[in-house]
Amino acid sequence: MYDRGFSSTYDSGVGVIPNSTFNAHALRINSSKASETSIFHFFRKNKINLNSVTCAKSSSAPDEPKKSPKSSETALILIRHGESLWNQKNLFTGCVDVPLSRRGVDEAIEAGRRISNIPIDMIYTSSLIRAQMTAMLAMTKHRKKKVPIVVHKEDDRSIAWSRIFSEQTSSEVIPVVTAWQLNERMYGELQGLNKKETAEKYGKKKVHEWRRSYDIPPPNGESLAMCAERAVAYFKDQIEPQLLAGKNILIAAHGNSLRSIIMHLDKLTSQEVIDLELSTGIPMLYIAKGGKISRRGSPTCPRTVGVYAYTSNLARYRELLENMEE
Amino acid sequence: MSISVPCRTSSAYFCSYHNVPGIVTDKAMGTQLKYVAGALPLKMHVLKKQVISGRSSSSNINALSNILASANGSAVLDGPQKAVKSSETALILIRHGESLWNEKNLFTGCVDVPLSQRGVEEAIEAGRRISNIPIDMIYTSALIRAQMTAMLAMTKHRKKKVPVIAHNEDERSIKWSKIFSDQTSSEVIPVVTSWQLNERMYGELQGLNKKETAKKYGKQKVHEWRRSYDIPPPNGENLAMCAERAVAYFEEEIEPQLLAGKNILIAAHGNSLRSIIMHLDKLTSQEVIDLELATGIPMLYIAKDGKILRRGSPTCPRTVSVYAFSNDLADYRQQLESDEE
Repeated sequence: MYDRGFSSTYDSGVGVIPNSTFNAHALRINSSKASETSIFHFFRKNKINLNSVTCAKSSSAPDEPKKSPKSSETALILIRHGESLWNQKNLFTGCVDVPLSRRGVDEAIEAGRRISNIPIDMIYTSSLIRAQMTAMLAMTKHRKKKVPIVVHKEDDRSIAWSRIFSEQTSSEVIPVVTAWQLNERMYGELQGLNKKETAEKYGKKKVHEWRRSYDIPPPNGESLAMCAERAVAYFKDQIEPQLLAGKNILIAAHGNSLRSIIMHLDKLTSQEVIDLELSTGIPMLYIAKGGKISRRGSPTCPRTVGVYAYTSNLARYRELLENMEE
Repeated sequence: MSISVPCRTSSAYFCSYHNVPGIVTDKAMGTQLKYVAGALPLKMHVLKKQVISGRSSSSNINALSNILASANGSAVLDGPQKAVKSSETALILIRHGESLWNEKNLFTGCVDVPLSQRGVEEAIEAGRRISNIPIDMIYTSALIRAQMTAMLAMTKHRKKKVPVIAHNEDERSIKWSKIFSDQTSSEVIPVVTSWQLNERMYGELQGLNKKETAKKYGKQKVHEWRRSYDIPPPNGENLAMCAERAVAYFEEEIEPQLLAGKNILIAAHGNSLRSIIMHLDKLTSQEVIDLELATGIPMLYIAKDGKILRRGSPTCPRTVSVYAFSNDLADYRQQLESDEE
């Protein structure tokens, strides 16, 4: 069964939800039929964001001290950065290093509030400033004393210059590793182009293909498959070992690199991953336990059949469903 | 005598400096001015009062514009600042705000510690102050707290241009960061990161608690390391070494751009900026030691006719100077400087 280690952070305060209200078909968060789904309507009425790791009302839940996870469990938090200055201008960004807009800054800080009580031992980001800023802004809200410090290993000078000479201080450091493998999908010759104009120039269908297929890359760019290859390789090589060795990890990255990692963790098909939409600024939580990494809070997933648990009862229901499917 | 007062020209920049309580009354105006008592006669303060007193904050910008405009004989300026005259270019220096180790009172140096919540707010506030000054290029250090300061400040910038970090570490990063639209490229403000603008490297003090270090090495030794010009902490840089690489970078990379007509923002650290100011203002090593830069408060220089002149000042408690921000003050300053020569 599910440990209660993290579930206290999910408590919605709404009490037991009868199993009969579940619609196992979908949590159609974004669909027009959402209002028909009783569970969605229930959540919406109570202003519960299914995607959040911590309840939106957590501050008002009186006697729920946030417990730290049991030592056998470690947390993996994924945060997709928020709005960038080119999102605002509706330009294809890809790997162009565009910073966050004011709104993106706010989203990052808000994300930080939601994860402020989850222990973090290491942070991984991409080499793009919008992901790095998201991580750093989120961590300004973190309640632990530890301080994120960007690791510099580019050359001898940067290694020598970033040395810390106090054991005490070193023990309170959260290393931040930046890796290009976690970058956004490289969008080739579409980078910098206006989305409307590109549709006019190449035709809507072609653009849709590039944006939403698994293996058709934009000209001189990466397909989602290529992005997934380098992102998942990095995850397996560098991040997973740390996670399974007991480190709590935060990854602040981009839509496509995170989808790739989620595809790997949840064993999604390429069709499912195409349909996967990740909310910006909303942290997603996975728990590593017993060598397995399982989803604890979900991304927006309008077309994927799944139940994302965030209370014990929901968790039990999910367990039931999964047993039924196996 | 022909008064070529450096500070008389454009009024576009005077509005970005914040007041210090007790010195200038109005929020939008004023500079970080600290005067040595006795170095300036009371006349100075009287002049200041004439210019500033009685203004409410909302009308202050307009009031100052009016003063300058009338002095220049040009039309009264409206609230929003005029664009820079094409013969002048702006150089803005911003020192980043509080970092997470500042909070904990640890020596930071080149350890890449990010901003605290307060540092984030300082950066955004700095952005408000420079939101109307055109910027064509941004230089920062290789440390995230300076980069964040620049990016947060630019979220407040009113121009449509977007800062984009230039990546040229290797072939892949060059290829991956290419922009394929001329229109978009023309609206980009390149952001160049360089380690030469990093904070002074503090050697074996990096990560140490300031109190503990004083106990361990003695207050005097620590004071020497922190406040002398050429005594480095063990395996660290002294201010002279920091100045050498920072000023070399400035002269080689930044100055040419500035004098070629680009408006530039530098977001960096206390010691690297002091070094640059030392170079620009031709300070002595004793003067630069005494120079304290306010965090998050932008400092402005104007490049014109091959010269780069100070327009707004850092806090300078022990340097005898007058930092003009009105024509009358500028006149007075000119007078003082001619007297000194």
